[in-house]
Amino acid sequence: MNQSIDFPKIGFLAVSMLSILSVFLIFGFIFHTAAPVLAKEGFSFLTGTTWSYADHEYGVFTFIVTTLVMTAITLIIACPLSICTAVFLAEWAPAWMDRPISSMIELLVGIPSVVYGLFGFYILEKVFRYHIDPFIDATLGFIPIFADPTPNSGSGILLASSVLTIMILPTITALTREAMVKVSLDFREASLSLGATKWETIRKIVLPIAFPGILTAVILGLMRAMGETMAVVMLIGNVNSVPKSIFSDGVAMTSKILCDIGYYVSFPEPKSALFAIGAVLLLMEFLFVASIRLVGHYFGRKGLKP
Amino acid sequence: MIILRLLKEKMVLAICATAALFAALMLVVIVGNIAIQALPSLSLYFLTTAESDTPRIGMAISNAIVGTFMISVCATILATPFAIGTAIYLQRYAPRNWLTQIIRFLIEVLSGTPSIVLGIFGLIFLVIFLRHYTGGFSLIAGSMALSMLILPVIERAAEDAIERVPHEWEDASYALGASKWATIRGITIPAGLSGIVTGAILGFGRAAEESAVVILTAGYSQFMPEWTVRASDKLAFGMKIYPVQDLVGTLPYSVYHAYENSNVIPMSNGFAAAFVLIMIVLIVNLSAKCILWRYGNG
Repeated sequence: MNQSIDFPKIGFLAVSMLSILSVFLIFGFIFHTAAPVLAKEGFSFLTGTTWSYADHEYGVFTFIVTTLVMTAITLIIACPLSICTAVFLAEWAPAWMDRPISSMIELLVGIPSVVYGLFGFYILEKVFRYHIDPFIDATLGFIPIFADPTPNSGSGILLASSVLTIMILPTITALTREAMVKVSLDFREASLSLGATKWETIRKIVLPIAFPGILTAVILGLMRAMGETMAVVMLIGNVNSVPKSIFSDGVAMTSKILCDIGYYVSFPEPKSALFAIGAVLLLMEFLFVASIRLVGHYFGRKGLKP
Repeated sequence: MIILRLLKEKMVLAICATAALFAALMLVVIVGNIAIQALPSLSLYFLTTAESDTPRIGMAISNAIVGTFMISVCATILATPFAIGTAIYLQRYAPRNWLTQIIRFLIEVLSGTPSIVLGIFGLIFLVIFLRHYTGGFSLIAGSMALSMLILPVIERAAEDAIERVPHEWEDASYALGASKWATIRGITIPAGLSGIVTGAILGFGRAAEESAVVILTAGYSQFMPEWTVRASDKLAFGMKIYPVQDLVGTLPYSVYHAYENSNVIPMSNGFAAAFVLIMIVLIVNLSAKCILWRYGNG
């Protein structure tokens, strides 16, 4: 038996190393380009509310808040919708319904984000301007966050969030369904044999066991919503302010970068500032990926992972 | 009491079924609406003429269709070897240690990287830093940036495929005295091939639909890609290789273009470009599904 160096193993390790080299390149170049402005602004980069190329002042606070509000609204709509869908597909739907519905939802992933933007801008915008916005404004408008400050436009955070909902729905639905299907039949039968109804079994047994998987699904959906660019640029209205209502226009972190990079890439300081937004986005993404790991670790140790 | 509990169950079932129907109908609503809006512009002329040959901007898209295929094929070719190599390493060679954990973690980070971040990275690294080699905004810069985007997609599919290869087959190969590499080459890769091909096709679709990265790295050209080499003192080796180092037009950019210049380009042209793009991606994704369904092992 030849016990010399295992060349294929070293070759495959080298290929893997080259693959992850791209991550280091991304982090290196983004942070290197962002460094001047990050060093100059320090912590006030995160807390400052003015973004002015003329005054050399860069603060991303409003963009971060807009992104977070938009992501939160997206999740508020998307979570119930996709988890209910997943419950139906995993628990109730017979195979002949499960197959086509699952495939149709999966195919939603394949629609390009720029097409979602176009669809939202030309078709949903009218629906929101003439029907949904006035309706919510009339029924719940006495609460400030549901008042419509721009009655003549349908674009804004709610429109962007609604389209983002469709975009992240397949991710959350598919992963939640997978987590629920994995729950062992024994647990369900034990619960059913004690006289629980199917819904009680789902509520008390299946959903708690599948919880880590569902949490991971939601975090992945959240990351996708937060990092989405094209659709958001086309739908959020691009007027920079701290959002006061769900209909406000805003500028998200991603849309700020895309809108300005084309013009400012040849000016060192503005370029650095825009890359600093990218650096913040990258760090947030990094933390979420790490949190998915932690979810797996924490529940894995408690023995709850199915 | 039991009636109340059963009633509750029926109500939940109704809510969940409505949610599922709503979710599934979204696809029909979106594709249907886009098809209807696209109808006035979908002509053979629109699909087969390069934009440079039309009197006004945004009146034809054949250059963008060709460009989308070229950039996606290049990105898939660039990404697939790395993805398969990484998948084989992680599934068959990697010891359970910190290095393996880090590789897995970084691939997850790569797969979650927002496309705009990949886009500005491509802009600063591929388009500006390496401009003497890539030619600035170009097919090769766009393909390289996209290959980073789709590497995790193909890697995950390849890993799943390799994981599904029955252990008995490999054990049989070892029992016959084959080495590890011979087993991987002779058993694992052929048995997992359908899954790996599916992954590559999914990666192709993911590359074709991406817009932010393409806008920031490939630029846009109204001209049909040409196949030639010309002298250029700006590039390394004193020559510019078309179409690799040249700007390339893609469908996502055509769609965005129609949105940005909505005062000049008719709305239906944007929708027609979007419709063609959706059809390409849907057909690609469906064929990936079919391959997995037809030849899938396990």
